[in-house]
Amino acid sequence: MSGLQNYKVDYQQILPDLPGQSLAWLQQIRSDAFSAFSDTGFPSLREEEWRYTNISAIEKKLFSPSTNVGSNEIDQAWLDDFCLKDAYTLVIINGRFSKAHSSLKGLPETVTILSMGDALQQKPELVEKYLSKAVANEEHSFVAFNSAWFSDGLFVHLPAQQVLDKPVQLIHLVTKADCLAVSRNILIVEDRAQAEVIETFVGDSNAYLTASVTEIFVENNADLTLYKMQNEGDKAYHFGGTYVKQAKHSRFKHHNFAFGSLLARNDVHTDLDVASECNLNGLYIGVKRQHIDNHTRIKHIQPHAISKEMYKGILNQRAKGVFQGLVFVAENAQKTDSAMNNRNLLLSNDAEADAKPQLEIYADDVKCAHGVTVGQLDEKSIFYLKSRAIDEETARNMLTFAFANEMVGKVDNKELHTMLLAQLLQRFSQKSVDEKWL
Amino acid sequence: MSSSTKEIENLINQDYKQGFVTELEVETFPPGLDEEVIAKLSKIKNEPSFMLEYRLKAFRHWQTMKEPDWAQLNIEAIDYQSISYYSAPKKKGDGPQSLDEVDPELLETYKKLGIPLDEQERLAGVAVDAVFDSVSVATTFKGKLKDAGVIFCPISEALQEYPELVKKYLGTVVTETDNFFASLNAAVFTDGSFVYIPKGVRCPMELSTYFRINAANTGQFERTLIIADAGSHVSYLEGCTAPMRDENQLHAAVVELVIMDDAEIKYSTVQNWYPGDENGVGGIYNFVTKRAECRGHNAKVSWTQVETGSAITWKYPSCVLLGDNSTGEFYSVALTNNYQQADTGTKMIHIGKNTSSTIISKGISAGKAQNTYRGLVKVGKGAENARNFTQCDSLLVGDKCGAHTFPYIEVKQPSAQVEHEATTSKISEDQLFFCQQRGLSAEDAVSMIVNGFCKEVFKELPMEFAVEAQALLGISLEGSVG
Repeated sequence: MSGLQNYKVDYQQILPDLPGQSLAWLQQIRSDAFSAFSDTGFPSLREEEWRYTNISAIEKKLFSPSTNVGSNEIDQAWLDDFCLKDAYTLVIINGRFSKAHSSLKGLPETVTILSMGDALQQKPELVEKYLSKAVANEEHSFVAFNSAWFSDGLFVHLPAQQVLDKPVQLIHLVTKADCLAVSRNILIVEDRAQAEVIETFVGDSNAYLTASVTEIFVENNADLTLYKMQNEGDKAYHFGGTYVKQAKHSRFKHHNFAFGSLLARNDVHTDLDVASECNLNGLYIGVKRQHIDNHTRIKHIQPHAISKEMYKGILNQRAKGVFQGLVFVAENAQKTDSAMNNRNLLLSNDAEADAKPQLEIYADDVKCAHGVTVGQLDEKSIFYLKSRAIDEETARNMLTFAFANEMVGKVDNKELHTMLLAQLLQRFSQKSVDEKWL
Repeated sequence: MSSSTKEIENLINQDYKQGFVTELEVETFPPGLDEEVIAKLSKIKNEPSFMLEYRLKAFRHWQTMKEPDWAQLNIEAIDYQSISYYSAPKKKGDGPQSLDEVDPELLETYKKLGIPLDEQERLAGVAVDAVFDSVSVATTFKGKLKDAGVIFCPISEALQEYPELVKKYLGTVVTETDNFFASLNAAVFTDGSFVYIPKGVRCPMELSTYFRINAANTGQFERTLIIADAGSHVSYLEGCTAPMRDENQLHAAVVELVIMDDAEIKYSTVQNWYPGDENGVGGIYNFVTKRAECRGHNAKVSWTQVETGSAITWKYPSCVLLGDNSTGEFYSVALTNNYQQADTGTKMIHIGKNTSSTIISKGISAGKAQNTYRGLVKVGKGAENARNFTQCDSLLVGDKCGAHTFPYIEVKQPSAQVEHEATTSKISEDQLFFCQQRGLSAEDAVSMIVNGFCKEVFKELPMEFAVEAQALLGISLEGSVG
């Protein structure tokens, strides 16, 4: 039996356990998605958008969903390293919402923050209005896979003019071997509302698969900042898709930190309406045999929108980093202002960086630029530091740290900034980079 | 639309001046392609037996292939059976031994195109090989080149006189299974130029081939093979035109360059095939595979292209940098107007140590045209200290056209340094205003700005070509100022 067949058979067994059984429209979405996925299987290298990322290992191995949060004790101290103190927290363990670990104390009544399972019970009309509206199953089969398989997720709805006092944090934790954790998140920020959301993916050292899709709707004049911390275990496979629809004059900021997992693929796609603005930042650090693929797509559909993008990668040992970015400017998207940048630092002989920054432009009055560099540390800078009595290793570490710290420095949330900085510092010896210097 | 936009449009919409047809007695195969046609072709050319085998091998492979569809191009299906694969002006006897024996009608054609084949009339020392439909009709300065040891002749002639040399190199850079159009070319190519520069020789003059499609319902499939042996140097130019016709005509060429130790080839193209009319009717489908292999240390290859013609351009002159310290360069101006579509760029494959490459690509898109840059920079594991700089800029003239950039960058070597930059913009009102305020007409201003935009590429062209290219750009842009 082929790998794909295993998934199909397994699906029929787990289907009754997935949320939203009583909702006919959802069953329709699931069955459509399942047949779309069945037709093609997981994306292959032959697909242009997946040409640098081979995920055949996922298909060969059967990852199976968990029916409950699992009985494993969660080491609270370990989890605390990833949890913000001052936030509304929703925890998903092994693909299932864990009420015991979540905390939504003090949440304003007008705001909805629910697990997807609960949202499907309590506010099915609202979910129906938005589910599968920011991304179609045709995007690629991982999205279809997610639509069919998702077992829980985060649902956030902010009414118009609501400014959320604290950030919302979604902790996505996997503690079971061979677990398949599929979550579907929906974030809706209505007109002139403002929010900050943090998605954190963590896991233990087992092999498992996370497949998460987040659909985001930023309405007129609304403002959303989304942070993604991907700290999956070092045998984990991670797929994370963020698909955004931005209405007029909206702002969307995305900070994407990819540190963990064996193989990670990350999609960030956004569609821009009139005079909206998006800011995509990314930092990926790969060591050992890690493979990190970043795929971004910015569609300027209407005029006067602004998009700024900066992705930085540090690749060491046998790691492979991929950046595929597309800026699309539609015919009437005049006065578009767009800049896309990708910088890669290759630190070892076996590391690899692949980049594909693309521009597709159908309007003439636009300003579009993109740049890519792949290289190593500047010898002159190293020489300068050495001439100031700093040994070579320290000098290299300092420069590498500074390269990465630019992206961490863009994080406005203080608590998160401290957390990310600590994670970054961990990668350097105390001697080389001292926190006190900062 | 501002007044200046109209000016640009006026500048762009000039007539195609090479669109006439020469009336000649010709020998043409009936349309269709099968093994028999290929055998007949090979026989007409009196080719050595290895060529027929090579062609048939390519043809058999071609039949198993599908047309590539990944390019940003909208192509109407091509019926390969409705094309005639051989068309040649009727020869008198054994073919011309000197220019005096060439059909005066042909000489007249080239004169009209501004390519006088008469050696006495030739001012600058440029040797020309004139390819008319499927055959080479004349090659100038043969004697002088022979004295220097340089072989410059039609490839069909090379197959008669230097079969061993051709056999040694033909299909080693672009194999007969390389891609759909290269396979087709390998099966049916009829003529082209063959150049061999022996060790240590600096070619005494610039070599040039002028391609002309004349007959209707034919395809042109030419093959160029240039070998620069150790320490040699050659500059080669290529130009092309075709009559105006309502049907699309197919042009599928292959160019192979082999560069040995310390040698250098400079390859310049001014491509001005008939681009179709303003409604997108007619024009040449230009599918070209060009590749240079730097086999020796310190080898250097430089591609310069000015692409203003063709309804569809599908062309990626590439450099395989095998030898240590070898250098590859690619300078390109691609201009598309009306319904023209271009998907062009380059591949730089770094394999040897200390290899370096430069890519400068300027795309200008006007009317309803689509202009795409597609390039690959690949640095292999062993390519220590490889260096690449890429710049691709696009200029949009009018709001109905598109400019796209699809670069691929793959680096497996930490000491490599790869930089890629791209911008897309239009001619700004400020720039135009500045020029006009200093007394230039809008049309001159645009022409000046566009020429400035392309200057980095034009300065790489040999003198005569640079002048021609600038004029051509003016003509192609005529009537589209904005």
